[in-house]
Amino acid sequence: MTMARAVRVQSGLSGRVDWTYVAAVAGLIVAGSLAMLSAASTTSMYSAILQKHFIALTLGVTLFTLTLAFNYQVFQDQSKFVYALAIAIVGATLVLGQISRGQRSWIHLFGFSFQPAEMARTLVILALADFLDRRARKIDDLSTILTGLALCAPVMILVLKQPDFSTALTFAPAIFGMMFAAGANLFQLAAVFGFGGAAISVPLIYTICQVRFPLASPTTLPGMILATSRMGWATLAAVGVFCALGFLAWKAASWMRVQVKPIAFAAIPILLSAALLSGIVVHRQLKGYQRNRFVSWIAPQSDVQGASYNVIQSQIALGSGGMWGKGLFSGTQSQLGFLPERHTDFVFANIGEEMGFWGTSLILGLYMILLWRIVAAARQARDRYGYLVCAGLASTLAFQLVLNVGMCVGLVPVAGVPLPLVSYGGSSLLVTLWTLGIVANIYARRYALL
Amino acid sequence: MSRGGAVPQERLEVLWYCIAAAGLVLGLRLAQMQLVQAEEWRLAAERNRSQMIHQNAPRGRFYDRHGAAVATNAPAFSLIFLPGKERRRQDLKPLADELSRQLDRDPEKLLESLEQAVREESAVRLAENLPTQTMFRLSELKTIYPGVDLIVEARRYYPFGRFASHLLGYMGKMNQREWRRRKPLGYRVDSRTGRIGLENIFEDELRGRDGGLRMEVDAQGRLKRILDKIPWEVGSNVHLTIDAAVQRAADDGLRATSTGRGAAVAIDPRNGDLLAMSSQPDFDPNAFLSTDPDEVKSTVRELSEFNNAISGAYPPGSTFKPIVGLAALSEGRVAPDDSVFCPGHMTVGGRTFLCWDHKGHKTVSWLKGLAQSCDVYFYTIGLKAGGAAIERYARAFGLGIKTNIPLKNEKGGHLFGPESRRKSGRNWWYDGDTLNLSIGQGELTVTPLQMAIATAALANRGSVWRPRYTQKIVYADGSPDFVKGPERLGIVEAKGAAWDEVQRAMEVVVSSGTGGAARIPGLLVAGKTGTAQNPHGQDHAWFIAYAAKPGEPASIAIAILVENGGHGGSVAAPVARSMILAHFGMTDPAAKRPNPPAVPAGAVSPLPPPLPLGRPR
Repeated sequence: MTMARAVRVQSGLSGRVDWTYVAAVAGLIVAGSLAMLSAASTTSMYSAILQKHFIALTLGVTLFTLTLAFNYQVFQDQSKFVYALAIAIVGATLVLGQISRGQRSWIHLFGFSFQPAEMARTLVILALADFLDRRARKIDDLSTILTGLALCAPVMILVLKQPDFSTALTFAPAIFGMMFAAGANLFQLAAVFGFGGAAISVPLIYTICQVRFPLASPTTLPGMILATSRMGWATLAAVGVFCALGFLAWKAASWMRVQVKPIAFAAIPILLSAALLSGIVVHRQLKGYQRNRFVSWIAPQSDVQGASYNVIQSQIALGSGGMWGKGLFSGTQSQLGFLPERHTDFVFANIGEEMGFWGTSLILGLYMILLWRIVAAARQARDRYGYLVCAGLASTLAFQLVLNVGMCVGLVPVAGVPLPLVSYGGSSLLVTLWTLGIVANIYARRYALL
Repeated sequence: MSRGGAVPQERLEVLWYCIAAAGLVLGLRLAQMQLVQAEEWRLAAERNRSQMIHQNAPRGRFYDRHGAAVATNAPAFSLIFLPGKERRRQDLKPLADELSRQLDRDPEKLLESLEQAVREESAVRLAENLPTQTMFRLSELKTIYPGVDLIVEARRYYPFGRFASHLLGYMGKMNQREWRRRKPLGYRVDSRTGRIGLENIFEDELRGRDGGLRMEVDAQGRLKRILDKIPWEVGSNVHLTIDAAVQRAADDGLRATSTGRGAAVAIDPRNGDLLAMSSQPDFDPNAFLSTDPDEVKSTVRELSEFNNAISGAYPPGSTFKPIVGLAALSEGRVAPDDSVFCPGHMTVGGRTFLCWDHKGHKTVSWLKGLAQSCDVYFYTIGLKAGGAAIERYARAFGLGIKTNIPLKNEKGGHLFGPESRRKSGRNWWYDGDTLNLSIGQGELTVTPLQMAIATAALANRGSVWRPRYTQKIVYADGSPDFVKGPERLGIVEAKGAAWDEVQRAMEVVVSSGTGGAARIPGLLVAGKTGTAQNPHGQDHAWFIAYAAKPGEPASIAIAILVENGGHGGSVAAPVARSMILAHFGMTDPAAKRPNPPAVPAGAVSPLPPPLPLGRPR
């Protein structure tokens, strides 16, 4: 960038690698492997799991190193291919994938099973970064946001088709984070993602009403809310209420002599109505297990054996670990099988039980270091493309961390999102290491000389 | 920068702050759960992984006065089932069928309890007190069906069976109200508690602390290992004043009488120790702990909780006469040699009062009067002593007042006389009332326990003791024994000569009077028979007695009542005789006498049937 930085250039690639970052990644992998060794020990396929894990680990480290060696800008140069690959792998999954737990999200290839959705997410981030980089001069336009979303939509829809709701959900923070970091118009961004958020929260509200007040009469508030989901007079009435709200806001603004464009007030009823309608559509599409996940989050004590069993057992495991934990291989919740998915989605709870607060805060701390270094890589990236890729990856990684850890501590609904690097999962580990390799690459090539 | 100029770095900073804030929230939540609430979660995890199988602790024992255990514990095997999380009805069905074959129980009911266990995720007791053979057969099931296990625990056991049933009580399940009350004290819903009698009264002392096996179970409820054994604590032992031999003689004797209904109480006249308390019909307390629930149900249905010895009030009849005699002799109105002519009846106030022997006893003085139980003689001396004196003496003997023995549902009986009439506001007293009182009839009712205490007072010349059944309580925790000394309720003041005459006459009753059936060579036995009129049916047979080794103070005083038994001398006295023999550790010199035939009721009192022993003169 500047001469001041250029003088600090050291010879060779290794001198410019962010070793703090690499150490955080290595620490997370070690901690995750330890937790997995302990958590999977009670499963019947212990040796197979270990084998797969260490094969994936070896491949992943190799991939990380290889990615570090080649210039990341190749992804921007081959952006069309990257995007086509993203579409291709999720499309292929739908055609060739194996159905497991009601989802067609795995491809079996050469004896390995592979979950392409996560790789597609990184590919989409790369493609979107290229797109936003090209639109740098028109970044303030609404068209940039909408076209960017249109770019990502096919991949997300194909992932939703699997249906893998939680992985599709992790696309959203990456897209938002990148558009935000690229400097998109805040008002437009808020409107678009507000609409998206509302479209997701409307079915959530419906589910809450259904669970909490299953027999609500139409005269009560929950009953009225539920009535709007049936696409009748009640829905129309809701739209009318939204229009009235927009009108009132306009009146209030002019009374208070606030200078806002009238379009902003028109946006209120339009966005709310659109969000309501798409929310109703989503509500009708929601699967039973997804509804149950909402339920177990809303009312964890309502049915211990049912959907919220996992949440409660995870919290018991985590909390009972205390400061120092019960020791590896000694967690009663995990070793006796009370903790579900203990080496995959709920591995963090297993760490909390067996390694205690120091274990969980170590993981959390390593994650924060990792994210800090990714943000640092974004800060020092030599080009806008690298900056955007890092911002997107940081957002999605942070989102996954919040979703997974938040699930284990009972702060967010059970989403079925693994904790990258820590949860067991060969393809996830491979893809994550490859993705992190790109970030390491961006950092290493920050001086634009190589 | 390749294209588009500078990047908005400040946007990145905002993004980073958001990420850091999210990390902080997660960190705080982790600290809250793992540092602040750790203990609560730890307990939850502990509850998750461990299941407690309780083992009933041995209950404190009851010993008789010589140290023989009259209520103890026996090992019992219980079949338990530990449910898993993923059991389905079809998995439980074969187990229920197998168990119903082994236990001979309804498979539907078994399946129901199995399903309940699965629903509630808690271990369930499928069967208790299994016989040893069944236990061995069932132990094979452990290997086939996960979750089935056998544990050993203590069960109440009454070695003598039907023995002092009403006094000892029995063990049973709690009702809802009692369960609510006892829950905070560490009782479980299936805990058994003493229902009546001493088992109930000493519940707090007798109950031990249940132990158990704390077992680690996995999410499927499969038993992984035993975490630890919580040892049970044995309850405190209670040493009773009961003499098992005397008690058994009383139980067996009463049961063998013609009606098999009645009560017997034996007391040590030297201190009020209860030597025996029997009430018939009785029950076998072991039956309440049977393995067969139907048997328990039928036992409870047929149970007679009524303790005749303290809750039954009967007219004492002629057994009241020694007290009347003491009153008359001591008050100086009557000399022992004063003779009365008995023509078989007496007319007072225009009414004719019959003697039980319609032919009359001819010339009767004190000794013959009591020995033959001549009613006319007692009418006469009763009139001379006066109703008020008789009432005063009877009250001094403790009649008409509850003894306040710590047993439930004690009755005080009813003593009547001029004074109690006045107190109840009925100011009339006729000679006819005195006559009825003089032969222990009329409104007079007493409990067998009161009668035994009065007999003891006759034996010890006036000391009325509070009946006492606890020798000592030996606490399991090592705290000093509870010992309660004898307690004198009162003293009957009477002249020494009067005591001599009454005791001598009671000896004559046994040696050559109506109570001959109680005569034992080598022992000094004194007594009095009674045949109490009963408006509801056959007369009640009474016998009171005390006995001593020659030259020693009397050590046993007895009151026997046989409901509708007829004549006391023939029905009740033999029971007293075997109790006295048991008390002195003697064998019956004339074992196995046939029961005398039942006697028809007469106008006042039937003629005594021919007695095999000691026929009255």
